[in-house]
Amino acid sequence: MHSRNQVVVEDPTVVSQEHDRYKKATRVAELSASAGRFVIWTLLVIGSIAFMMPLYLMMTMALKTPGEIARSSAWAWPQQVTWENFHTVLTNPNAPFFLFFKNTAIICTFSTAGVLVSSSLVAYAFARLRFRGRDKLFILLMSTMMLPGIVTMIPTYVLYKYLHWVDTFYPLIVPAWFGGGAFNIFLLRQFFMGVPRELDEAAILDGASHSVIFWRILMPVSGPALATVGIFAFIYNWRDFMGPLIYLNSPEKQTLELGLRTYQALQDEQWHLLMAGSVIVMIPLLTLFILGQRYFVKGIVMSGLK
Amino acid sequence: MLIGSIGLVASFALAQSPSLPTSAPAAQEPIQLRFSVWDGDESLKVIRKIIQRYESENPGVTIKLENIPDYNVYHQKMLVEYAANTAPDVAMMDQSHFQALATRGALVPLNDLMKSTPGFDIGDYYKPIVDAHTLDGKLYVLPRDIAPQGLIYYNKKEFDAAHIPYPDGSWTWDFTERPELKEKDFLWVMHHLTKFGKDGKPTQYGFLPSLPAVGVDTFMWSYGLRPENNDPHPTKVTYDTPDMIKVYNFYCDLSLKKKWIPSNSEVTNVMQQGAETIFASGETAMFQSGIWEVPQIRKDMKPGSKEFFDWDIAMYPAYANGHRAFPTGGSGYAIFSSTKNRDAAWKFTRYMAGPVGMEAMARAGIAQPAIRKVALSDAWIPGPNTPLEQQWPHSRIVTDQAVPFVQFGATAEYWPEIQGIIDARRDSIYNGLIAPDKALKLANEEGQNRLDSLLKEETLPPFNWTNGIAVGVALVAALLFVIYWPERGLRYTNRERRENAAAYKFLSPWLIGLAVFTLGPMIMSLLMSVMNWDMIGQAKFRGLHNYTEAMGEDPRFWVSMRVTALYTLVATPLGIFVAFLLALLLNQKVKGVPLFRAMFYVPSIASTVALTLVTRKILSPENGLMNSILYSPFINKTLHLGTIMSNYAGTPHDQVNWLGNEHTTMISIILLSLFGVGSSMIVLLAGLQGIPQFYYEAATVDGASAWHRLRNITVPLLTPSIFFTMVTGFIGSFQVFTQVYIITKGSGGGPNNSMLVYMILLYDSAFQTLRMGYAAALAWVLFAVILGFTLIQFKASKWVYYEADVK
Repeated sequence: MHSRNQVVVEDPTVVSQEHDRYKKATRVAELSASAGRFVIWTLLVIGSIAFMMPLYLMMTMALKTPGEIARSSAWAWPQQVTWENFHTVLTNPNAPFFLFFKNTAIICTFSTAGVLVSSSLVAYAFARLRFRGRDKLFILLMSTMMLPGIVTMIPTYVLYKYLHWVDTFYPLIVPAWFGGGAFNIFLLRQFFMGVPRELDEAAILDGASHSVIFWRILMPVSGPALATVGIFAFIYNWRDFMGPLIYLNSPEKQTLELGLRTYQALQDEQWHLLMAGSVIVMIPLLTLFILGQRYFVKGIVMSGLK
Repeated sequence: MLIGSIGLVASFALAQSPSLPTSAPAAQEPIQLRFSVWDGDESLKVIRKIIQRYESENPGVTIKLENIPDYNVYHQKMLVEYAANTAPDVAMMDQSHFQALATRGALVPLNDLMKSTPGFDIGDYYKPIVDAHTLDGKLYVLPRDIAPQGLIYYNKKEFDAAHIPYPDGSWTWDFTERPELKEKDFLWVMHHLTKFGKDGKPTQYGFLPSLPAVGVDTFMWSYGLRPENNDPHPTKVTYDTPDMIKVYNFYCDLSLKKKWIPSNSEVTNVMQQGAETIFASGETAMFQSGIWEVPQIRKDMKPGSKEFFDWDIAMYPAYANGHRAFPTGGSGYAIFSSTKNRDAAWKFTRYMAGPVGMEAMARAGIAQPAIRKVALSDAWIPGPNTPLEQQWPHSRIVTDQAVPFVQFGATAEYWPEIQGIIDARRDSIYNGLIAPDKALKLANEEGQNRLDSLLKEETLPPFNWTNGIAVGVALVAALLFVIYWPERGLRYTNRERRENAAAYKFLSPWLIGLAVFTLGPMIMSLLMSVMNWDMIGQAKFRGLHNYTEAMGEDPRFWVSMRVTALYTLVATPLGIFVAFLLALLLNQKVKGVPLFRAMFYVPSIASTVALTLVTRKILSPENGLMNSILYSPFINKTLHLGTIMSNYAGTPHDQVNWLGNEHTTMISIILLSLFGVGSSMIVLLAGLQGIPQFYYEAATVDGASAWHRLRNITVPLLTPSIFFTMVTGFIGSFQVFTQVYIITKGSGGGPNNSMLVYMILLYDSAFQTLRMGYAAALAWVLFAVILGFTLIQFKASKWVYYEADVK
């Protein structure tokens, strides 16, 4: 780099040669860039076809009559597209869709809010503060992910029973407000550790408290991280089966995922309805993802800072 | 912190002491009965109607229907609820699950209630189904239906075409074809209904059992054999007798050599619901199952539609000597002993599992009534007034004639574990991977060893809960000691003290959550790991024997450890690598990237059932996407991929049966796990987006190549995200469960236990054999392994680069 600068200063002919070479190089770069883009695009198309197969199968089966499902290949597009299955699922009085939708939305909204608030608070401490027992407490935090939930299920259930929380939404919402889960805390901690400390050092010298730093400095630049955690938490709760199944009893308190299973019971499988229902249940998540993308790909974490 | 967790342990101690008798509620009070079933949508419609009718006939009683639409999880929830004393009043139950609850006093014996009910006669019910729900002379489940699997559904069109008279049940089977008996010989019929194409492959099969195990078990029962010596209390496994081997050889001959029966891989090839579809699509002339297939068959081919063909049912043939037997299903309703309204619950049970309830279920074609009178009425047997659609099958009387020959098999609660060990070996037989005699000898030996060790009588002292609480307190104290003792000497400056105080404020939500919700159950499960306890009866102290049993006696422990380790060590790095590549691709400024991102995330939000289906469609041996590519002339001629895989799988002459072959199942579940890379991809993508653009600009100006930029900017700045996906990926992989469970359909570890991941073993111990103490020990062993593995990753995490590391 140093030598090139010298060349530029010393000899004008070399400069023009250099300029030509530069132009040629950019053209080559442009060509190779567009070739590169083409390769990338091809890879993306092939990959996405593979990853869209589940949705494709869900759609074909949701649009077929049970008779056609039995006889045709699952890959085949329906000969006669029927929207009847969607109608049946949405209007089935035995699994009232809109009631279940409301229940699921309530659980997901409140628990996701809880996860976002509490896990970012806890992650802030682990990522940016020094305190007694920090490293050991972090191992303790991680270890809560390592014990299979099967063996803590009954003790946890008994605990909620003593709190009179069985058959309410509380077991599915309240714990989210108390930590939000080791996975989310760890994820946010990793993000927070990537944010340069210059600003909070300055703020501390100005006498700002840690709450101010957290809310005014860290939160505004953590959009991508929070969007990621929010999407994960929302999807996890939306798709959760065991939690609602164990804690909710009343028919009017069921969630969408439980409602779907009534089309999948032993010796009573109704694939056309199950798949139609699955497609409907998936749509809000897909929408959320497409909308949420705007936030986590903005990439403002550090570029906005330095 | 202490109080919450100790309180929980103490509450279990209290629950162990005898409870005070509760006074019966006054008769006038309105009663609400909680009623649990595992039924699906179709049956629920009927059940709701019966309940409505019951409520209108019985003012003051309301029924709260609690539906748990998953058979396995249903029984899990019943156990959880009973352990927590929140069990329903009346619950659906069947012969393979009632014994575990009944022996622990969880179910009300119905004998006294029956005696004191005028007009009630248990003699109205089919005797075999009553016997199957009786334990030591006491009936615990009032049967609602019986479902013999001894029905042959047959396609009349095919019989007509082959000029074979319809079967009337008076036929027999023998180990060799008996042409002289013609249509009275099952094998002759099977033979003459099988059609082969020009390439020598069958285009239509003669016969298909709903599952290979059902097919071979029926031959076994019918030949007069048994899998064990005693149904309620088996002590000997009898899978290795010469006669048993003969039956398996016979079945393999029919399906793998003669091809009159589709092989296992040809059945799993078709959709999940399997055999019924093959019959409804006309690909097999005969099909063995129970009556529960009828609603689906009716739906699959409506009379008058072009797919419709005439069909009926006949009874399964007897063995040549006239002996007839076949497996069966059936269910009923039981009353939990925790009910406060025993009489009301009994009255309701009688209604649901009585003429009214059964008639409604029968009319819907859902269940064969357990009361013979109802089973013979026109609610079940089609009469002149039956609507056209419900006419099929015409010979429904066969279901009644079949009842005397049903076999329920072992009911002991520990038998499923033994059967699981045997099934792991059996699966390879159906696929032709191992000779029956070799597989059965091995299976029998392993099953018997495990049975012996389970039957070993142990005299154990009751668990001392006072000591348990003390140990719990000590554990919490020890935890605090380990965390804070090493730092006792640190002296903080004022600023550090403020920072410390602030940190604990930020941590407080998690610390409270840990103390209230998390730590108690964790400590409780640690205490459970030294107990012999089912969460219902009295807890016994077993010391460290649960741990030594796992590592020393249980043959599945090390198998599952090996399988899990292999999965984890391959799937996690592979998943991260793929996620990283995808994230790089999706971080490019290429047209349509937002859409691509969503598309790659689809499998992470799609329904599990759809994922399973796709997996089957890709990996099925015949016409599966994978094999179509591997064995396509072009690929196989040039790269020999198909040949290489076939040799690797040990079946050089066949295309690979990915999900059925013990050599390829692991590859299959690892491939399936790649569908889930979406979330790692997002974490990495968010990390990539966080890398300041000017780093790249500066590097480009300096003439750094794309590779250098990747190595020196992207990767280092992405290490926090990579580290996260690595640590959580390993933790998750060690606990992999769902994707295996759905492939094996909840029945053990697949062919030769090649998919027996650790969590399957743990799940079966906890909820199939109700050995919660043992399961807890298994869980803590896994915990130790994961913890060690994670600590190593943290210790070796010098490669992770943090902008703002707090040392």
